[in-house]
Amino acid sequence: MTAAITTAALLVTLAALVSAALALLVTRRPAVALPVLLDLLLAAGLLRLALQPSPTQLAGTALLVLVKRLASSGIRVAAGARSAPAGRQ
Amino acid sequence: MELVSEEFLKDAVELLVRLVESAGALVIFVGAAIAFVRFLDVALRHRHEPHRFVSVRLGLGRYLALGLEFQLASDVLRTAVAPTLREIGELAAVAAIRTALNYFLGKEIKEEQEQLADEGQRRTATTAVSPP
Repeated sequence: MTAAITTAALLVTLAALVSAALALLVTRRPAVALPVLLDLLLAAGLLRLALQPSPTQLAGTALLVLVKRLASSGIRVAAGARSAPAGRQ
Repeated sequence: MELVSEEFLKDAVELLVRLVESAGALVIFVGAAIAFVRFLDVALRHRHEPHRFVSVRLGLGRYLALGLEFQLASDVLRTAVAPTLREIGELAAVAAIRTALNYFLGKEIKEEQEQLADEGQRRTATTAVSPP
């Protein structure tokens, strides 16, 4: 089962890279592509945790969630800052 | 006389743990696969509607939360046969981290839903204001 889950996690990681690259290519907005990448990478991380995980794997996934939250907060703040001057005009 | 031997109970719980863990992994993998197909669809057919990416991500988030629930269930099952205090401590740490992951995931899904609803309202307002 370990091999199957490792392969599945690898496939999901590949899907994350392809989806994010495509989203960036199509929209030309990193704010759209980055969450796509992080969401699918989180899915790959959670798949790896399906077996009895080591403390390092757990910490890695927790770190990914932290990065995801930081990135989404950053994107929201940046979007707010960009739309604020336009709203005042 | 023992009705059920301890060895049998251990084997049964181990089998259940494997089953529940596999179900969790399957839910996460299926969710990721569906999200990938939908991402491709949005990127190729609805390229001028980037808000659609958020709705796909919301769906994926729900699958991830469900998969984590299964993983938590398997942790709880494992405590049924964890014989040493050390093993129970390790299980508690794993369960605590998974619970925290689930909490943050749920919070993020809620925030994204609010953001999507706001964007939808803004789009409706823009369509209503713009001249025909």
